[in-house]
Amino acid sequence: MPPTEALAAGASAGGGWLVASIAWPIIALLLVIAGGERLAARVGVLALPIGLAIAAAVALQVGGSGELVYNVGGWAPPLGIALRADGLSAAMLLVTAIVAGGSGIYALADFGPPRAGSSGRTSLAFWASLLGAWAALNLAFLGNDLFNLYVALEMLTFAAVPLVCLDGRAETLKAALRYLLYALVGSVLYLLGAVLLYGAYGTLDLGLLATVAQPGPATWAAAALMTAGLLAKTALFPLHLWLPPAHAGAPPAASAVLSALVVKGSFFIVLRLWFEALPGLGSAAAMQLIGLLGAGAILYGSALALRQTRLKLLVAYSTVAQIGYLFLVFPLAFDAASGRLAAGAALMGGLLQAVSHALAKAAMFMSAGLIAVTLGHDRIADLGGLARARPTSLLAFALAGVSLVGLPPSGGFAAKWLLLSAAVATGQWWWAVVIVLGGLLTGAYLVLVLMRALDEPTAPAAPLQPVAAWREAVPLVLALLAVFMGLAGVLP
Amino acid sequence: MNPTTLFGLCGAALVGIGLYGLLTDPRLLRKIIAFNLVGSGVFLLFGVVARRGADAGLGGDPVPQALVITGIVVAFSATALAVALLLRLHDAGGGATLDDGADSAGKDRSPS
Amino acid sequence: MSGAAQGWLLATWAWPLALLLACTWPAVRRLMPQLLALAPLPALAAALFAGGAPRVSVGGRPLELLFGLDAPGALLLGVASLLWIAAGAYAGNYLRGDAHAGRFAACWLLAAAGCLGLFVAADLVSLYAMLAMMTIGAGGLVIHDGTPRAWRAGATYVGLALLAESVLLVGLVMLAVEMPGPGLGIDEAVTTLAASPQRPTILALLVFGFGLKAGLVPLHVWMPLAHSAAPVPASAVLSGAVVKAGIIGLIRFLPSGEALPATGQMLAVAGFVTAFYAVVVGLTQRHPKAVLAYSSVSQMGVVVAALGLGLAVGDGKASMAAAFYAAHHVLVKGALFLAVGVAAAGTKGRRGWVLAPALVLCLGLGGLPFTGGAVAKFAVKDAFSTGIAAALSAASAAGTTLLMLHFLRRLALVEVEGDRPAPAGLLLPWLAMAVAALLVPWLLYAPAGLGSATAAFDPLALWQALWPVMAGVALALALRRSADRLPSIPEGDIAAGLEPALRVSRGLGARLDGLDCVLRGWTVASVALVLVAIAIGWTLLPR
Repeated sequence: MPPTEALAAGASAGGGWLVASIAWPIIALLLVIAGGERLAARVGVLALPIGLAIAAAVALQVGGSGELVYNVGGWAPPLGIALRADGLSAAMLLVTAIVAGGSGIYALADFGPPRAGSSGRTSLAFWASLLGAWAALNLAFLGNDLFNLYVALEMLTFAAVPLVCLDGRAETLKAALRYLLYALVGSVLYLLGAVLLYGAYGTLDLGLLATVAQPGPATWAAAALMTAGLLAKTALFPLHLWLPPAHAGAPPAASAVLSALVVKGSFFIVLRLWFEALPGLGSAAAMQLIGLLGAGAILYGSALALRQTRLKLLVAYSTVAQIGYLFLVFPLAFDAASGRLAAGAALMGGLLQAVSHALAKAAMFMSAGLIAVTLGHDRIADLGGLARARPTSLLAFALAGVSLVGLPPSGGFAAKWLLLSAAVATGQWWWAVVIVLGGLLTGAYLVLVLMRALDEPTAPAAPLQPVAAWREAVPLVLALLAVFMGLAGVLP
Repeated sequence: MNPTTLFGLCGAALVGIGLYGLLTDPRLLRKIIAFNLVGSGVFLLFGVVARRGADAGLGGDPVPQALVITGIVVAFSATALAVALLLRLHDAGGGATLDDGADSAGKDRSPS
Repeated sequence: MSGAAQGWLLATWAWPLALLLACTWPAVRRLMPQLLALAPLPALAAALFAGGAPRVSVGGRPLELLFGLDAPGALLLGVASLLWIAAGAYAGNYLRGDAHAGRFAACWLLAAAGCLGLFVAADLVSLYAMLAMMTIGAGGLVIHDGTPRAWRAGATYVGLALLAESVLLVGLVMLAVEMPGPGLGIDEAVTTLAASPQRPTILALLVFGFGLKAGLVPLHVWMPLAHSAAPVPASAVLSGAVVKAGIIGLIRFLPSGEALPATGQMLAVAGFVTAFYAVVVGLTQRHPKAVLAYSSVSQMGVVVAALGLGLAVGDGKASMAAAFYAAHHVLVKGALFLAVGVAAAGTKGRRGWVLAPALVLCLGLGGLPFTGGAVAKFAVKDAFSTGIAAALSAASAAGTTLLMLHFLRRLALVEVEGDRPAPAGLLLPWLAMAVAALLVPWLLYAPAGLGSATAAFDPLALWQALWPVMAGVALALALRRSADRLPSIPEGDIAAGLEPALRVSRGLGARLDGLDCVLRGWTVASVALVLVAIAIGWTLLPR
């Protein structure tokens, strides 16, 4: 999208909401830390609905009047830094608020107000990390300057890493360190790219870069370094080494946030980098390469998900696969004739995939967590009897699966339809084959899990742990949102 | 060879040494130090960019200096977080190295 | 009046879905198995009153769903709803004392909504949505018994159905991309298809997808497995109505009135191969439900052959004739599956209530004069009028008679589950369906626009219908002794041969695990990161 009139003229009315959406989670984070272990959960849970209201306000404003722009300090770029919300940002802000809110409510059972005698340290760590990640994500979706986005990226990593190792076991600490170090390698590559861009053009603002960037060694090197760094943070195949142990080892509420939102943050920045700052600088070969990595992720991740024996690892590898769909946007949105990336059906499909995957994956991790609590384990082969023990959780899991496979009327189906349309329209039929195969493999591992769960118990039933009804309601609501998202196109 | 180019080559060398350390040494503390080396190299390159702005007539481009300060803070926080996790890992009995491929996901594979 | 017609069109699929939603209340869920016969009533009303009504539009920009009934759709919807009602009444009694009755009812309602909604879907998206709904519901019905056989059948069914739907999706998207306006109506799509440069590819994809759903050889392997593993009322609707999804899809998207000789001949060959292959394999089956399943495969082959022959010469009336033939099959196959259930439920002494009507229906499927089957065969006679097609059609009729008599024999030998005679709740739906199968085709012949049925009473026509049946009966009597010495081919014939492939894939999977362990090592992954950066940079360089 080219720089709009609003940017040149200054801020637009309602831009204050953009500041609020970044500032509120940070204020809540400070309040949580100030409240200490005793009040962390209470303060945190009160922050959730306000954050949702702010996100909704931004979405309504963007829906009504187009883009929102806010110039920090009143200085317009290139002197100052701009925050910008367009349709993509508004959608991601909203889904972040919904999923973070859902995870927070769901986490009240594990990370709620501390009972007498128990330490509230883990609770404090969870709420601080959740709010920090939320703030970082909002900054990533609204930032219009590459260095601002770097800060958002780093803040996101620092907030996400503690979420992985909340239980303090050696295994999860190792997974967290692996995640942190790999993400840091990615960050320095990104920063290196930013240096090169600044050195060449004297600005890091997305809109200004779009006007001044020229093909040349500095630009190509910078684009390659930044893209590779961001791919490492998004765990695109073959750079996915940290994701399965990290997402499977984290507590369910944390896994939901990690899989649904954190990886979308770095993906969003890749989108902004290519679609806003460097739209005319891509080459067909580079876009096909990114698409090839995405296709590899889809097929490899789905095939490995089929091989898993533990439910949470299956869901983690499913994330590895679904991230691949996001990167198909690049070859599909590339117009070979003009050499530019264009916003169209492919970008819309990518956005729908991101949003519906966020809702569905959060629901999946949460229901997998409830299943593990009920049975005491999450081995897929021994899931028998679950249909009678936890029908609601199983239903949430199945509905989330429906969105992942891409059956109507889910958001996943709408995303698949748009991506397939783009593939057919641009004549790149090989991506259509990949999308179809991915859907079949996804269906395969979901059917595998559901069949085991519907079966009779294999071992003598261990006593089933009870689970509060409101805890089961959260993943069900998220899964229903994902499944019926496609109907939004039919409503007036 | 003017100073700017020398600084640039130094920065590149630091990045190279740091990346080598990050990729090959299994000891976690060494990896953290290597990350700091890479970071220092990148900051040196920011300085080079600032100096080139100075060659154009200003005293020294202030924007990269601001970016470097932010970068130093970020690298410092990253190091602090990594060291804290490393200490916790050591206390929890997990050693202080990042072995190749041996993690929880690898152990739970089905045997067939 | 059109407002009511439009209401019936929407209620066709909305009413079963509303009932499904009501099942979230436990009290309703307990009661629902007895109420399943009420679900298809709006569909029956739609078939009677809404045929030819203007399309109903739901939504607007960016997505508009359209619902309407064309003539073949109305015909198939009517008979399918009759089957769903009778089978629903049967299921109410069948499910007494079943622990999973609530789950059965939920899957039933979902499958009914999808199956009936498919006939009224008039745009590409709702067509696909109904198909997906139907598959999920039907899959749940297949696995109901929970035996290993049922699991295997369900997995095969859902897997192949997903494959069919994926291929269909690509074809539908290819069509949608070429359509000029924002709407995705099927009528507009067919017009676009006729003028499209991608027509061969799109047609190939659609024929593959719908052919798999209809059970063309070699894509039929799920049908015997699923239809014999499912409970009796589910088998009835699966074989009767759900399979017709493929047929209605082919009817809607194949061009009518335009001659495509190559495509038509290919379809005809596929249809005839299916018809004969299924008869041969069906003769080796022991379980009556498996025999019926293979008979369904064979009959769908005949329908596809009729469509293909009509397409080859550009006969515009071939689709209505094929739909009529399929409609008769809906009634007959549904009735015969219910017969299996009634035979298993009642004492051997009362077998007469089952065997006598079944004999008439069986011979009717072969084309015995004065039965509904004769009318059905009479309707498609134009397609099979010349040369080799006529000979093949007569041979197929004889083969069908032979197969159905084999079924009757297996039915007579079915083991009984109890001491009491079959309850009325099971007996009445079966008899009602049997009567419908015999009479309804006569009643529908003229309204279907196929002309006057009195020509079927012409002596030449009577003889042409009778002699294949007599040949089949003669063959059955001659082969009576050797019936038990035939080799036993497992259900799903070709599928059983795929076992080695599964073993190979498991071995590959183990290799994949090893690959993942290597890829997720720190050194390999970091080097990969550097390589990715270099590769992206290199691909960005201008050529």
